[in-house]
Amino acid sequence: MAASAARGAVALRTNVGRPVAFVRKIPWTAASSELREHFAQFGHVRKCTVPFDKETGFHKGMGWIHFSSEEELHNALQQENHVIDGVKLHVQPQRPKALQGDQTSDEEKDF
Amino acid sequence: MAALLRSARWLLRATAAPYLPLSLRLLAGGPGRPHAALCLRAARARPVAGGLLSQARLHSIAAEKKNDLQEEPTSSHRRNASQFDWALMRLDNSVRRTGRIPKTLLQKVFDNTCHSGSPGGNQALLLLRSCGSLLPELKLSERTEFAHKIWDELQKLGTVYDVSHYNALLKVYLQNEHKFSPTDFLAKMEKGNVQPNRVTYQRLIAAYCNMGDIEGASTILGFMKTKDLPVTEAVFSALVTGHARSGDMENAENILTVMKEAGIEPGPDTYLALLNAYAEKGDIDHVKQTLEKVEKSDLYLMDRDLLQIILSFSKAGYPQYVPEILEKITYERRYIPDTMNLILLLVTEKLEDTALQILLACPISRESSLNDFGSFFLRHCVTVNTPPEQLRDYCKKLKEAQLHTSPLQFTLQCALVAQKFDLAKVLMKALKEEGFPIRTHYFWPLLVGHQKEKNVQGIVEVLKGMHEMGVTPDQETYVNYVFPSFDSIESVRAVLQENGCPHDDNVFSQAELRSKAVNGNLDYILSFMESNTLPFSFASLRGSLILGFRRSMNINLWSKITELLYKDGRYCQEPPGPTEAVGYFLYNLIDSMSDSEVQAKEEHLRQYFHQLKEMNVKIPENIYRGIRNLLDSYHVPELIKDVNILVEREKTDSRKTSKPSSSDLESKLEKLKAENQPIGDILKQLILMLCSEENMQKALELKAKYESDMVVGGYAALINLCCRHDNAEDALNLKREFDRLDSSAVLDTGKYVRLVKVLGKHGKLQDAINILKEMKEKDVLIKDATVLSFFHILNGAALRGETETVKQLHEAIVTLGLAKPSTTLSSPLVTLYLEKDDLPAALESTIDCYEKYKILPRIHDVLCKLIEKGETELIQKAMDFVSQEQGEMTMLYDLFFAFLQTGNYKEAKKIIETPGIRARPTRLQWFCDRCIANNQVETLEKLVELTQKLFECDRDQLYYSLLKLYNAFNIFLTAKKQNIVFDNEAYARLINLLLMKDNSTQAMQVKDFAETHIKGFTLNDAANSLLIITQVRRDYLKDALTTLKTALDLDQIPSRLAVTRLIQACALKGDTESVQDIQKLVNGLEDSIGLSRMVFINNIALAQIKNNNIDVAIESIENMLTSENQTVDPQYFGLAYLFRKVIEGQLEPALEKISIMVERLANQFAVYKPVTDLFLQLVDSGKVDDARALLQAPVMKSLLELIPELIDKEEAYSCLMKSYVFDSDVASAKALYESLTAKNVKLNDLFLKRYAVLLKNAGESVPFTEPPESFEFYAKQLKESKETHL
Repeated sequence: MAASAARGAVALRTNVGRPVAFVRKIPWTAASSELREHFAQFGHVRKCTVPFDKETGFHKGMGWIHFSSEEELHNALQQENHVIDGVKLHVQPQRPKALQGDQTSDEEKDF
Repeated sequence: MAALLRSARWLLRATAAPYLPLSLRLLAGGPGRPHAALCLRAARARPVAGGLLSQARLHSIAAEKKNDLQEEPTSSHRRNASQFDWALMRLDNSVRRTGRIPKTLLQKVFDNTCHSGSPGGNQALLLLRSCGSLLPELKLSERTEFAHKIWDELQKLGTVYDVSHYNALLKVYLQNEHKFSPTDFLAKMEKGNVQPNRVTYQRLIAAYCNMGDIEGASTILGFMKTKDLPVTEAVFSALVTGHARSGDMENAENILTVMKEAGIEPGPDTYLALLNAYAEKGDIDHVKQTLEKVEKSDLYLMDRDLLQIILSFSKAGYPQYVPEILEKITYERRYIPDTMNLILLLVTEKLEDTALQILLACPISRESSLNDFGSFFLRHCVTVNTPPEQLRDYCKKLKEAQLHTSPLQFTLQCALVAQKFDLAKVLMKALKEEGFPIRTHYFWPLLVGHQKEKNVQGIVEVLKGMHEMGVTPDQETYVNYVFPSFDSIESVRAVLQENGCPHDDNVFSQAELRSKAVNGNLDYILSFMESNTLPFSFASLRGSLILGFRRSMNINLWSKITELLYKDGRYCQEPPGPTEAVGYFLYNLIDSMSDSEVQAKEEHLRQYFHQLKEMNVKIPENIYRGIRNLLDSYHVPELIKDVNILVEREKTDSRKTSKPSSSDLESKLEKLKAENQPIGDILKQLILMLCSEENMQKALELKAKYESDMVVGGYAALINLCCRHDNAEDALNLKREFDRLDSSAVLDTGKYVRLVKVLGKHGKLQDAINILKEMKEKDVLIKDATVLSFFHILNGAALRGETETVKQLHEAIVTLGLAKPSTTLSSPLVTLYLEKDDLPAALESTIDCYEKYKILPRIHDVLCKLIEKGETELIQKAMDFVSQEQGEMTMLYDLFFAFLQTGNYKEAKKIIETPGIRARPTRLQWFCDRCIANNQVETLEKLVELTQKLFECDRDQLYYSLLKLYNAFNIFLTAKKQNIVFDNEAYARLINLLLMKDNSTQAMQVKDFAETHIKGFTLNDAANSLLIITQVRRDYLKDALTTLKTALDLDQIPSRLAVTRLIQACALKGDTESVQDIQKLVNGLEDSIGLSRMVFINNIALAQIKNNNIDVAIESIENMLTSENQTVDPQYFGLAYLFRKVIEGQLEPALEKISIMVERLANQFAVYKPVTDLFLQLVDSGKVDDARALLQAPVMKSLLELIPELIDKEEAYSCLMKSYVFDSDVASAKALYESLTAKNVKLNDLFLKRYAVLLKNAGESVPFTEPPESFEFYAKQLKESKETHL
């Protein structure tokens, strides 16, 4: 568990403040190279991951695009429709994990 | 026959009215009317087997059965109730949504039911009834087989069958066209001591009739007559079928006349039987005539009935008539599931062409989200092995009909999931012909299938298939999906060659290399790289190499490989060149490690860097800086100097003119000096540079040489440098010079602390104390970290046995008030003596601390040592003291922990069993944490064991601690590998623990495992709530909803936080339906959960707004607030959340309409709460102008006077003041203040602070003492006080 916590920490450190897009609803026909190709129009894609499930041989429809700059990420997010193989992707900025905990903390009080 | 019919007439006269009024029939499938549905179902035993499904909900099954079973007096009945409800819900959901049950679901519910021990009659009935037409995806024979399996299995488990079960089985037989002997069936019932009833006979008649056996049917009818049982329409309908199937159409038609004579008007069921009879004969003319006749009558055939006729035509081999019936179908939305089920059924029966025909006729809206409506058809075709070419053709047709956007791709996916390689190949070829690319990963699911069975031949086939398709396997294919099936990579190569499987040597070798690297086989990597002749991209290997390095701790290999990368012409030589490439490699290597990993491998890394230095490997300075930052953030700055030695300095100098070297600077300095120009700046620059190069000697020389030109900054850096180099003498002198230069200058906290440390260490106690005094005088900022540093200084001294240093520095720190005495800070006072084994002095020192500061540092350690040494008298003394000062309970706990710690478990047990002792959670937790920190498994286990009977002890918490120490997840993995299965509770706790630690991925892994290995696995309330929160956070809202349902089914009360988050997440997605579902789910539990009705009102409205149904949302809110019978008192009708979300989401159209609504509510209905809420939200989000537009401040003022019931008056005043402050409107602010003070309204500090600042800014005097703290402070204070009031 320590190792995984540490990995979490690494991931956290790696993603905070770095321009990463989180992509969902990737069609099964597309993998990282298709994603990379699509997102290259918005800027330099430093890294693109679409993890595959080794148990099934399919990916789970999610991926991460690491851009070189915030501006490039912004460009990508600006575009309304991202379509690969005829399927519309869901693209959103990767939220830093640390923030998530607080997000709803004050929301319950309204009731 | 005539006699039979006559007797039937007689029977009917005896039993009054016909059974089936039309109105009831139409209610079939309608929710909430189980009895209507039930009568209908009982009466309408379908004469045609394999009949399409009635959508009647399974609830009716339960309702019916519950009535039957009222006397069944078993206790297990109640125990099984929740289990039953769960199963019911799953099946019912499926039937309601789709009109069918997937086989896997039925299997799962069946398995669960079996596992629950003794399944009740209700469950058995539910399962049996599911085995008929509810399973359109299964062949008829398979369905009956399933029913028999369930029947036998449950009987073995002790389920007692009554007549309803036999009837259910009969019905399944009829629906599945199962051939059986009715007499045998009756005999079976008799053996089971069950009396047949009317329904039994009716169904047996249907069974005979289905076989065309009129004689058999007559016999049963005879039975019924002797028992005075009424003959219903269903019996007549069956007889229609019976005559028809015996080839006697004339008599079949006659039945209708006989019925009329008997006083029963033939209903839709009878006509349907007749229609089916014609259809089976392919007699389209009669079908049409009969349909016309029905249309003219007041009877009504539903889509479902027409579908039945289509089925009859198709099964009898007359597909040509299907279109004519299709034309008559109205395609009401509620019959779409029925249509889908017919399609599935036809596919199951291998009548795919007809199925497609019906599918194509479906008027599904082409542009809606259902644009892949045809998926279910394609998937099922794949399941039943429809020939590939035929499927390919269907794909084409579906695409043309716009019933699917990408049918080939979808079908291919189904084929891959089902591991149907031949089909996959045909589909891929088709895709290729249509110009779609065939991608490498399409083959992975196939490889996975073979990999699971280690089927080498299968893998070879797939690889060959890839080649045929023109796809070359890439590295990933080999590494992840091919290699794992083989014992060694060498054997892969051999097998591929043997089988003539073409492969790219280069790709293969690189894959091999990667695979070896990932496994930490660095020997192989090195020899490969030495002998390699192929072109080679280092970038592709970097990731694996890093993994390999981290798996192998052979530093020599690390260095050799790095050297090779750096120097060998084959690698890294192209621009940007080896320095850059290797530099990045080192950066990535360290970046990939966690801080604890780097800390653990510090020595290895140091060695590695030094070996690289020896090998003359260099890295660019900018990359060094990156590495330095990483090491800093890992808290291993000690490694920085070791990386520093690798920096390529010469190059930096020549390349970056902006950053001169120290020698450059020095010569420049000398030149300036010679020219008699000011040198202060450049001197400071040079000193700083020398400091960063850690060159103390040179820096000190320079200072001596140019003393008169030194500035404060230079001194500060030098002092710090000397402290780092443990040079107390120079540090002190420099500090004095620094003071002389500017006595008011202040160093930063860290430098002061380092000075204290160095001075203390070198026995310069008075100087150290003087520094502490200066810190106090100059009011240096003391942070938590500073206090921790103080502790380390004291503790270091204590470990070195420096009694005076510890005592005097501690005294100074505490008396100066730099830090408060605490068990941590003061512990070195005791440590001093514990280290020397001077126990009496140690105890004395602890007691002394208590007398001075009311703390007992290290009492636990002192006690442990006393116990170990058997110092009875001192123990007694310690205990008397603790008992007297802190109470007996504290003393007992101290002793208990000390005994535990020293392994005296018997004594510990005696203590904890002292009568009257209670659980003290904080103390128990303290000890748990201590055990975890020191990795004391046994001690913690004993603690858990001994506290079993402790009053009010939170066992959960203790278990968590234990699991934490066990490194629980790893244990789980190990156990899983060894096929060890724990009990429900262990998994539940583990999941809870993982969720609490935010390891949701692992938690899910455990949950999945537990669910498949423990039947009916459940989580407790807390875990389910956490799970919901986690699922919401990960945006798995459907799963979260399922979890909530599961929890509620188990009668758990989920936490308010969990439910609220789920509701809010659904609302933000615009998912109105889910929010409403949740509302239904928690109906009645709102108070237990603590949910306000407003949560739903706010979130439903928000969801509607997100869906652009702004008007609907607003209308419903307005209705709620203006209707006569209000469910929520208007003054509690808080819409702040909704408003805030709308404002935050910049949903301008919605905001505009809301503004209009709240104004209307205020003006016309005198409902002021919404307008105030909106006003406050607008002000809160800085939209003061909008707020003002909504409501002029004077209006607000009058509003406040107008509405006495306004609860949040205080906040409203605050807001009003805030808006005046925004405007710098002193006059209005004054008026407000005066009117409020006149009314004796108590004003909060935030209000006063605002007012005071406004006055001050306007240059006016403040008529009260201005609250001293900051705005934030009061805002927070106010918020907190409000929370406690809630």
